[in-house]
Amino acid sequence: MLIKILGSGCAKCNRLEQLTREAVAELGIAATFEHVKDMDQIMAYPIMTTPALVVDEAVKVSGRMPSKDELLGWLKAG
Amino acid sequence: MDWMMSALQGGLGSLASYLAAHVLLCLVPAFFIAGALSALVPQQSIVRFLGPNTSKWVSYPAAAGAGSLLAVCSCTIQPLFAGIYKKGAGLGPAITFLFFAPAANILALAYTGVALGAEFAIARILLALSFGIGIGMIMAMLFRESDVARLADARTFADGGGIPGKTLLFIGALVALLISGTLKLDFLQAVLFSSELSWTASSAVQQTLDRWVPVNEAVGAEGLSLQGALLIGLLAAIGAVAWKGLGKVDEGFNRLTPVALGLTVLTLAFAALGVKVGDTGIALTVTGRTLAVTLFCLALMPLARRFDPWDVQQWLWETWRFVKMIFPLLVVGVFLVGVIRVFIQPEWIRGIAGTNTLQANLAGVVFGVFMYFPTLVEVPIAKMFLSLGMHPGPLIAYLMADPELSLQSILITAAIIGKLRAWTYVGLVALFSTVSGLIYGAWVDGMSPWLLIADVGSFVTVIVGTLHLIETRRQAGEGKTSC
Repeated sequence: MLIKILGSGCAKCNRLEQLTREAVAELGIAATFEHVKDMDQIMAYPIMTTPALVVDEAVKVSGRMPSKDELLGWLKAG
Repeated sequence: MDWMMSALQGGLGSLASYLAAHVLLCLVPAFFIAGALSALVPQQSIVRFLGPNTSKWVSYPAAAGAGSLLAVCSCTIQPLFAGIYKKGAGLGPAITFLFFAPAANILALAYTGVALGAEFAIARILLALSFGIGIGMIMAMLFRESDVARLADARTFADGGGIPGKTLLFIGALVALLISGTLKLDFLQAVLFSSELSWTASSAVQQTLDRWVPVNEAVGAEGLSLQGALLIGLLAAIGAVAWKGLGKVDEGFNRLTPVALGLTVLTLAFAALGVKVGDTGIALTVTGRTLAVTLFCLALMPLARRFDPWDVQQWLWETWRFVKMIFPLLVVGVFLVGVIRVFIQPEWIRGIAGTNTLQANLAGVVFGVFMYFPTLVEVPIAKMFLSLGMHPGPLIAYLMADPELSLQSILITAAIIGKLRAWTYVGLVALFSTVSGLIYGAWVDGMSPWLLIADVGSFVTVIVGTLHLIETRRQAGEGKTSC
């Protein structure tokens, strides 16, 4: 599973990455993390607001912090 | 040694008046509002109005709305600006958004209103709104033919629904708290109940405080009251508790969370209480304000319960993040402003910007462009200039230019829209800031509104005429090449 965190490196983006890593560890899945900071690459996704979470190239959430249950749901389904 | 003493006292005096009751009553709720806007308002609710096919009548106001509601944090400004420009409504609304965000977010407006007066806050929002939209439209027109083909993707602007009613109600209650704590209305100032505690040491305590932080009416130093000293103590206590109580709230509510919130309510209620130190004791007065502030604080409890615990945790975490990010910079900034204040002679300021002239307004703009101050520090600086005798006109010119044209914002703009466009933007902001200063200054000096309208009208005509001329020239040029 490829997980991308889109964001300019602000506090919220780092926190989203941390939450996602915790959820991945809890489920025990193998996942590669990538923190995309380049604005052009971020803008290539259909989003306007950061932080955003992309799982296997599908945008799951942008502009807000998902709850743990939401995260677990996406990671299980993905 | 003497000058060091007076510099230190200047800094402390400036800090004391910054932490005084009326400023806290505005800034504390403003931080909570900023947190709520960032955590509870779904960004899609405004972003959906910024798509590539939205009409001008919707996208420009929506861009201004996004500026004041969504952009409390610099990490939202950059992607939103790039997004509006590259994928959404285009260069014009993107520029409006960029212009409006730093001048008209809730923290800047609330603090301007309390430190400089409501009329400055109103002038700031009105001028920023009209000129933000104006500059956006001019930029859109100037660079029309080079507007990039935008990769519109309907999903980006999908209708995610509006702002939920409970969020509106909650933010409304927070705004009511801010307003009831700061507005100078009769029923808020009416005395409901007063009592005097006898405490023989009271005057001695006040004298000690006066020795530390001397009152100096002439330079606008308010000194440190007993109430102020206690409030600073309470703030320190909140800081100590909130570090864990609010800073770690994202891992779930902990024991210190209610303590931190309780202390915050106590601080607000105490700040809204009238405390006067006399010779024989302390007179306490409960006013309409005390009652209103306490009631609104309590009303927030049941309103907050309607949200998921997760959302409330987000709100508190965001609020604390803003406090951590802005408050220390502001405290240092305010202290340094107080120190510098001691060394600046009022004659210098009055000589350069004491009257509402073109040169004075240009001086205000130039100072704003070349000085870079962290968020909100422009307000105490403006207050210092005002107390040194700067005319309100040039002051508004400075207040318009300073947050718009920081080095950071110029660099972001240049990286996203290119150097030529960025520098055109800078030039336009400088021009418009000067004009806003002149207009506001003329208004303060009591110029007749009709004459003012005529002046603004002719300014707009000149701008529109110039644009029209450029446009027709360009069309003529295109005609030739196609032949």
